[in-house]
Amino acid sequence: MPSPTASTGLIELDAVRTQVLPNGLRLRVLRETGSPTLSYATFFQVGSRNERPGVTGISHLFEHMMFNGAAKYGPKQFDRVLEARGGASNAYTSNDLTVYYEDFAADALETVIDLESDRMRSLRIDDEALEQEREVVKEERRLRTDNSVYGLMEEALESLVHQAHPYRWPVIGWMSDIERISRADCEAYFRTFYAPGNAAVYVVGDLDPDATLAQLAGAYGDIPAGPAPAPVATGEPDQRGERRAEIRYPAQGPALLCGWRAAAARSPDAAALDMLQACLGVGESSRLRRRLIHKDALVTSLGLSFGWRIDPGVFSIFAELSPGVKVERVEKILAEELARVAERGVAVTELKRARALLRSSVLHELGTHHGLAQALGEGEALLGDWRQAGRVLELYARVKPAEVRRVARDYLSPDRRNTVVVVPETRP
Amino acid sequence: MSQLQAPPVERTRLANGLQVVVAPRRGVPLVAVRLMVRAGSALDPARRFGLAHLVAAAVRRGTRRRSGARLDAEVEALGAELGGGVDEDAAAIGLSAPLEALPRLLDVVADVAMRPSFPAGEVERLRRREVAALAHDADEPGVLADRATLMAAYGDHAYGHPSEGRGRDVAAMRRADLAAFHARHWRPSRATLLVVGPVEVERTLALAVKRFGGWKGVPGAELEIAPPAPPVGPAVVIVDRPELTQAQVRFASAGYARSSPDFAAGLVAGAVLGGGFTSRLMEAVRVNRGLSYGVRSRFATGRAGGLFFFSSFTKVETAGELVQVALDEVARYREGGPTEEELERTRGYLCGLYPLGLETHEQWAEKLAEVELYGLAADEVTGFRDRIRAVDAAACLEVGRRWLPVDRRVVVVVGPAGRLRPQLARFGPVKVVTARAVT
Repeated sequence: MPSPTASTGLIELDAVRTQVLPNGLRLRVLRETGSPTLSYATFFQVGSRNERPGVTGISHLFEHMMFNGAAKYGPKQFDRVLEARGGASNAYTSNDLTVYYEDFAADALETVIDLESDRMRSLRIDDEALEQEREVVKEERRLRTDNSVYGLMEEALESLVHQAHPYRWPVIGWMSDIERISRADCEAYFRTFYAPGNAAVYVVGDLDPDATLAQLAGAYGDIPAGPAPAPVATGEPDQRGERRAEIRYPAQGPALLCGWRAAAARSPDAAALDMLQACLGVGESSRLRRRLIHKDALVTSLGLSFGWRIDPGVFSIFAELSPGVKVERVEKILAEELARVAERGVAVTELKRARALLRSSVLHELGTHHGLAQALGEGEALLGDWRQAGRVLELYARVKPAEVRRVARDYLSPDRRNTVVVVPETRP
Repeated sequence: MSQLQAPPVERTRLANGLQVVVAPRRGVPLVAVRLMVRAGSALDPARRFGLAHLVAAAVRRGTRRRSGARLDAEVEALGAELGGGVDEDAAAIGLSAPLEALPRLLDVVADVAMRPSFPAGEVERLRRREVAALAHDADEPGVLADRATLMAAYGDHAYGHPSEGRGRDVAAMRRADLAAFHARHWRPSRATLLVVGPVEVERTLALAVKRFGGWKGVPGAELEIAPPAPPVGPAVVIVDRPELTQAQVRFASAGYARSSPDFAAGLVAGAVLGGGFTSRLMEAVRVNRGLSYGVRSRFATGRAGGLFFFSSFTKVETAGELVQVALDEVARYREGGPTEEELERTRGYLCGLYPLGLETHEQWAEKLAEVELYGLAADEVTGFRDRIRAVDAAACLEVGRRWLPVDRRVVVVVGPAGRLRPQLARFGPVKVVTARAVT
């Protein structure tokens, strides 16, 4: 359990112990008692943003390769050793990051350090493992995208919102690229992006900070530094008018996904966009849920999302429509509601409600060792400083009604809208 | 392995029968409140599948004291969201909010549980929304597969329909159905109130008495659901979705209730076979053959009974191969049980992970609700690791031989029937149904 402090009310930032090894690896360690567990996270500063056409999806495919054995712990050993010690591990890849994590009983720390440093030092990349993971990833793509109405829509939306920026391709990659990524691509990728200078390790939980730092330095210190990753081409032309895409699919009913290119995580507008999102769509008394679900009963499910990314990410609104409802009708109401916020802003009570809900969700996230480790890592990877993890509530507290109005007006304007519609067609 | 720190748990039964469980626990200054009522979907009347679910959603849409909109506003102003849900055995409503809001939270939960007014307009909108949501479920291959498996495995038993119900049944529900179900089943004698967080026990109990003491249930016999019969099998059900490029694959056979003495050994056996990343099924299906991204098996347990449940997915061309590989692994397990290495690893895995599911106040509230619902021993949490460590290879083999599927099993696959049928006919007589038939 985090111990609330006066400084941030969330994380005892002074208690975070840090070190940077000569090879560039950043270490951050936080002691938190309350449950006899640890969470261990390794953040690599690489995601689909660092890819290029032809090898889209390599970040995600590579994430799978990381579980296939290294010099000390061979194939199938990573999870076997970890699970035997009472731990579980997984990983995820986003547009910006690739993150590996282990959650485990505190006395397995030494084993986890050994496992993680082994694969950063000496991952084995062989053809057999690559072919097997390629098939697994193709199944993952079929699951999440090709056979999922929402997956198809989301992929189409990112490609509409971004025309030049690497966010335009899906994190899982295009199927044709997944099929052609080679072992040489993977080897070059590992050398550059998995070098210690491109990574940070976070350990949170029931531990001794000094001893842990010493153990980490001992295990990772001899891994050689790598080349600097190439800069990412982040340009994106201004959008001058709405863009639309249509997906014909044998779905039960129509669905609508609207998105706008919003602000980068580091922008001072990111917190105001979170507040706008909460006013519009978090909780039953939010504006859009009240109107579209409870008052007009046009929509069966509604979801808003604004993920913080290194470069400007997408603010999106997803709606699954009730039977017989025309998409145009829902689009019109959405436009009306957004225009209302852009013109008149939101009430102070709405902001208070939004702030309370966001506060609960942040507290909830930081209520576990896993959540704390992730928050520190995201703060550093997306905002440049792990200390930001404890400051997000201060950012929300500072957002004024006028800013919510301004971000609604500037970012969510009709001319910058991107719309994806599913048109149900009869099953073949 | 470090000691699991459990909060003290105070259990009190009020005069009206309501069980109150208070667990004072340090940590974040939030409090979790949960009300669990034994009013699950197994109590749905015939041709009203989904009624328990609709009632649990509708109680939050208005009471004799508060409109739905006012409930929303009041709860959300505290930074809380009134969550809830229903499974086959129970309905639950819960929320967590800053500690100082505890009196208000209890007031809201009591109001919702005791005095729902089922406003006609709200009920009508909710009902239509649920019908539409069920229709949209037909677009989710995984959801279709889970639904079809429950129906095929349990048949006519009270567990044999998904909690969300059937579209045609929900469409026919009226306000009077909801009010009658609530009056009959939402009784204090069937309910448990749980409060977890940095609270004072005496004060919390006094608040609970104040808010819930006046809850009067309609007297009536205590209903118990009879155990389900094993599936009739072998049988194959294909839910036809011609356009899919990936098949969702399930199979199920008889299982046991949560309170069964087989529970601990079954947990270990299920994990050796299909839990985590190193299970036999994961190795056979994903690691060695690249057939799928995910594969799991487990014993799913309820109050009256349960199922052994296998779940995975693969491209349409390899659906039959996947079923065969999985059934072969099941058969191999029945022959020899786990190796010592597997057993040791799996026990370590289950024991190590256990406290990770008990880090937050909400997780504790949920766990303590389970203890009440299934009638588990008071040392359910603190004794968990000892019980798992006591499971030996002989117990794992025995539980596998008793419960793992041989003939009385149902195989359910969602995908294009034309291409699936030839691959699946060897697993039993094939029945093809439409997506509509299971939603």
